[in-house]
Amino acid sequence: MLKISNVTKSFSGVFEPVLKRVNLSLEEGEFCTLIGANGSGKSTLLKIISGEYVADSGKIKRDGEVSQVVQEVNKGTIPSMTMLENIALICVKTPRFSFYGRHKNDIADKIRSLNIGLEKFIDQPLSVLSGGQRQTIATLMALNSGSKILLLDEHTSALDPKMQTLLMEYTAKSVRKLGLTTLMITHNMEDAVKYGDRLIMMHRGQIVVDLKGHEKSNLKIQSLLEMFHKFEDQSLLHCGEENVN
Amino acid sequence: MSIDLIMNGLQQGLILAIIAYSIMIPFRFLDFADLTADGAYPLGGAICAVCMLSGMHTMVAILCSMICAGAVGICTALITLKFRVNSMLAGIILSTMAYSVNLRIMGKPNIALFDCGGLFDSNIVGNMAIIVGILASCVFPFALFLRTDFGLRFRAVGLNPNLAKQQRISIEKYTVFGLFAAGAMFGLAGSLIVQLQNYMDVGIGVGILIHGLASLMIGETIIGNATLNRQLTAPLLGALVYQQVQGVALSLGLAPSDLKFFTGSIVLSVIAFKKWREK
Repeated sequence: MLKISNVTKSFSGVFEPVLKRVNLSLEEGEFCTLIGANGSGKSTLLKIISGEYVADSGKIKRDGEVSQVVQEVNKGTIPSMTMLENIALICVKTPRFSFYGRHKNDIADKIRSLNIGLEKFIDQPLSVLSGGQRQTIATLMALNSGSKILLLDEHTSALDPKMQTLLMEYTAKSVRKLGLTTLMITHNMEDAVKYGDRLIMMHRGQIVVDLKGHEKSNLKIQSLLEMFHKFEDQSLLHCGEENVN
Repeated sequence: MSIDLIMNGLQQGLILAIIAYSIMIPFRFLDFADLTADGAYPLGGAICAVCMLSGMHTMVAILCSMICAGAVGICTALITLKFRVNSMLAGIILSTMAYSVNLRIMGKPNIALFDCGGLFDSNIVGNMAIIVGILASCVFPFALFLRTDFGLRFRAVGLNPNLAKQQRISIEKYTVFGLFAAGAMFGLAGSLIVQLQNYMDVGIGVGILIHGLASLMIGETIIGNATLNRQLTAPLLGALVYQQVQGVALSLGLAPSDLKFFTGSIVLSVIAFKKWREK
């Protein structure tokens, strides 16, 4: 479970708070997609949940450890280490004075479950893989880290369409199987509609749309786009008024 | 270049390899610019010399010097981590302080050790075998450690500290451990060199960091450091090559007083070559 109560965050030099008294509660195992325009506060919210940023005020309650996958693939992996070493580093929670090579078969099985033939690179440094392949491994690592809460910040955005679909399918399937409480930022409206039990839209540091249950399952891309543009138009109007004043 | 010069170079190169390994641990595995070498290395020598003079067993003297030099490493780590002092500044401060401590320990600037026994005699091959044995007993356990769960975490601390923090890996504990290990190896090298030379001078540490760094960089330039095995071979190979290059330079007429200029030039050339090759 993840509970965010009245979280506010400002940055020096920015007049308007990036997050304004945000409240959000995710049940255990709930998969929530988070959309919003650039600068709406999505990534800041994730960084506060992960502990990278500290909120100015408000409370965060996390039942369990948090793992995350971000856009920049090198943040979540060590390119100079082999695939085996990277995954062993994340997946072994109780380290021992035994060789990490003992996990090789288990890790190879995990990589095989991706169905993209990456297991043959298990002893190669991650730096030899393409960006998409590395991001897939970073996602695999986060999913198998034993954390209860998973944060995904546009984790498929740098990939080609085929890889995007493969990784999203794998992520959604694994999240369900492992029962992870998941908050996923995406700019892909199709993914936002297709995946997850719940959809949240942020606008200027606030949650403005929160759809779950039938509302979410019956949601169409067209109506989501209309909602998105409605808030963006309001924002443009607001900016225009500020400039005139 | 005579056989004697080559053999002497190999012998010195093996001890220099211990220093290069000590430099590799913080620089390559912890991303920690540790400059305590100039203090920890002579401290090891001073303690070993004084212990041997007092009649202590050679191995006990070596152990004492390793523990004390390791403690300097721990101090550098704690000053950097607890007081947020730049690691290089902490190293320089401690090296400067260690100079006074060494003089206090020794009681005078140099000590002769001609009648104290020690590990080495005039048989250069036998001496080399002893140093190889000591080097292997340090490097092999370390290489095995790096292949364990804990070793993996140790490497992650330097390669991606943010990821390490996310995984709740204690940066402090691993840094303290790494700097203790590096300091202890500096102490070991110091204690071996005073036994080999049969005297201890308080100034033996001046510029030792740059010799070790040159060795490490030469080794990495020759075989690279893309894999763990290559990284672990680089200091040994680099130290042996560096010592031979130095021997050649001396035999060609380079004045010993110009040696430090020569070393600095080698380091700069290796850096320039690596950058040029990366382009």
